[in-house]
Amino acid sequence: MLKLTDIDTYYGDLQALWGISLDVNEGEMVSLIGPNGAGKTTTLLSITGLLRPARGGITFDGHDLLKVPPDKIVDLGVSMVMEGGRVFASMTVMENLELGAYGTRARKERAETIEEVFKTFPRLKERLTQRAGTLSGGERQMLAIGRAMMSKPKLLMLDEPSFGLAPILVDSIFEMIKGINQQGVTILLVEQNVRAALELADRAYVIENGRIVGEGSGEALLSFESVRSAYLG
Amino acid sequence: MKKNQTLLIAFIFVIVLAVIPLFIKKDNLLTYLCMILLYISLASSWNILGGYTGQVSLGHSAFFGLGALGTRLLWFAGWNVILAMLVGGIIAIVFALLIGSPAFKLRGAYFTIGTLALGQILFATVGNIFPQISSLPVQDLQSYTLVSRYYLFLAIALLTVLVAYLIANSRLGLGMMAVREQEDAAESLGVNAFRHKLTALVISAFLAGLAGGAFAFFQIGYYPQYPFSPVWTLDSTMMAYIGGTGTILGPIIGAIFFVVLKEVLSLNLAEFHPTVFGILFILVVLFLPGGFMGFWKRIRAKQNKKRESAAELSHP
Amino acid sequence: MLQPLVQNIVYGILIGALYGLAAVGLSLVFGVSKFLNVSHGELLMLGGYASFWIFKLLKVDPFVSIPLTIIFLLLIGFILYRLIFSRLIKLEVEKKIQNSLLVGFGLSTILQNIALRLWTADDRSITTAYSGLSFELAGIRFPAVRLISLGIAIVALISLQIFLKKTFTGKAIRATVEDWQSASLMGINIHQVYLLAFMLGCAMAGVAGTLVSICYSIDPSMGLNWTLKSMVVMVLGGLGSMVGTFVGGIILGVTESATAFFIGGNYRLIAGLLLFLIILIFRPQGLFGTKEGDK
Repeated sequence: MLKLTDIDTYYGDLQALWGISLDVNEGEMVSLIGPNGAGKTTTLLSITGLLRPARGGITFDGHDLLKVPPDKIVDLGVSMVMEGGRVFASMTVMENLELGAYGTRARKERAETIEEVFKTFPRLKERLTQRAGTLSGGERQMLAIGRAMMSKPKLLMLDEPSFGLAPILVDSIFEMIKGINQQGVTILLVEQNVRAALELADRAYVIENGRIVGEGSGEALLSFESVRSAYLG
Repeated sequence: MKKNQTLLIAFIFVIVLAVIPLFIKKDNLLTYLCMILLYISLASSWNILGGYTGQVSLGHSAFFGLGALGTRLLWFAGWNVILAMLVGGIIAIVFALLIGSPAFKLRGAYFTIGTLALGQILFATVGNIFPQISSLPVQDLQSYTLVSRYYLFLAIALLTVLVAYLIANSRLGLGMMAVREQEDAAESLGVNAFRHKLTALVISAFLAGLAGGAFAFFQIGYYPQYPFSPVWTLDSTMMAYIGGTGTILGPIIGAIFFVVLKEVLSLNLAEFHPTVFGILFILVVLFLPGGFMGFWKRIRAKQNKKRESAAELSHP
Repeated sequence: MLQPLVQNIVYGILIGALYGLAAVGLSLVFGVSKFLNVSHGELLMLGGYASFWIFKLLKVDPFVSIPLTIIFLLLIGFILYRLIFSRLIKLEVEKKIQNSLLVGFGLSTILQNIALRLWTADDRSITTAYSGLSFELAGIRFPAVRLISLGIAIVALISLQIFLKKTFTGKAIRATVEDWQSASLMGINIHQVYLLAFMLGCAMAGVAGTLVSICYSIDPSMGLNWTLKSMVVMVLGGLGSMVGTFVGGIILGVTESATAFFIGGNYRLIAGLLLFLIILIFRPQGLFGTKEGDK
């Protein structure tokens, strides 16, 4: 479904990704793990079109994403939740959700989609007219994921969804992500919480210094010695 | 180019400029040269602050105006004109010191807008205090010679370029450029950013003040507000950008280009030169950062590369 | 003493509404795309001249021709954005503000020069049959055209507000102001948003210009001062709040007229600029609400 071939991405003159290749199959949940600054977020941003790789290829459902503008990539069914959620704080929960369905494909179905989102995140329904800036950290994260779901994604990419949340919330967020995956949405997850990421995912890639250094099923990586010593302590 | 060669060319250039009045007797031609020299002084002094130190000021006319105002008042009060000009320059310095510490609290575009507002405040205030036109008294008019004005403009232009050159090749200049490139990084290397910016502002102000003094000596009748007009600032900024900021030659080329273009256009496209100049300026900002000088350097670099690769080919 | 003072303040409020309207356009463009378009005052001038010539040549009432002025300025905005400003969007924020400012100065030089050559340096103003009308209330005069202009300024602001709050596109604009990256991930084409905001900013300037040409006068060199006034108001009102900006305009208008009353008419401009510098110096960084993390 998603295929990255040998991509190199730069920030100005600084090369952040070195020949990243990875595959995500339909219906899978795939994790990207690795230390801070390894290039996980950069990889996701390269897929969204917010960053453009200098070399390499990215295809999604047969479309060459490097030729598609960022707003149309969303229309193709690729959605991303950035670290911290980045909800529109001065706008209401409802407005945030509406904007999630901005794309032409999603806009027509937004009345039905919003009901589905409320099923996954009933809390959001209670907060509809509240400004997003007044939500708690967990609620914001739910809103961010709900907002991404409004675009009816085939592939949902999540950047550190558990970051900064209380431990009890972390588990429920992961539960919700699992639920979304079971609804048939393919998931690419970037997580600092390596154990949870590996337990949850079908497969995972390990990134270090902008390069893929390991790949395998979640279980296999969990038992992998170097991963254990580096990330699980 | 070798350093000696450059100096030799500059020297010949100066000699030519110095003897020109002996051969050219036409007043209007000499006036154009005066304008070129004045603009060289303005653009080069702007460049010390805006180009080398990266503080894009749009208040340059304030210093030019203060120099002109001080000189005119003292000169008419009977002072020797050179002395009056020096005092004019010092007034500009005092003003620079007064505004320095609040102005440099602002960074980047905020500094630019702040200096613009400051310039406009002086422009309006001077217009209010001195609403009358300032004209040369008749007895002075009789002794008016263009050649003496020309030499004064030449001296100030040379002084300004020389000062810019000396700064660019000094530790002080290095510090200024460090502030321009990365203010925070410069600070962490022990460069006192504020002191460097203030020094640049004071030198730039003094030189602009002297140029204002020469203008006051040159102009027969004008409203004292006129040298404070934002037009002076915009023109010198545009010249420096088009020629190439942060270089010695850039503002000089920009100034010559400006006056010559104005002349050429006044023959064909009567009075549309600000439009042409504005378009050029926009093109430079958008596509040619570094102006003519930057463009020239890039071409040279390309040629050198070609030559190098050609040399490589000939050595198997 | 009191009555002339009140009269002065009333005039201050009436002109302040136009400052507010002028600033809203500048603030909208800055908020969305971080372009500090210093040729805003010249766009306002173009709006003024458009109404003036439509009135002069076609005998159409300037209030009636406002839609035409809006279309004209939308078109100008489209051209300027496509030709010039679109080339700045990839720059990082600081550089973008700085370069848009420089480009704006180039543009203002050009527009000023063209206006001067086409329409001479004369002051122009639109004199209609009802220009002299005014109402009196407790000895205070309210010129009719200025009252109508106040009304139009308010209508323009409310329309803009409704557009931003209620329509999908308006929401996309607000989302882009807040976080353009997030907005882009919603499937919003931010280049279109930038273009639209720029055009709307120009249109607001155009309407303000029309009102200025009716209530006061226009000339080719008016631009810089209107740009500066708009910036003062933008700073006073705080970014992003249309109501705040409008109030900021009225504060500036009243400050100016109080200055004119107590010190002298020639010092109106200086008072506003001093106010501006003081705010600039005391709030140097967060001034225009540039957020952390903007790129």
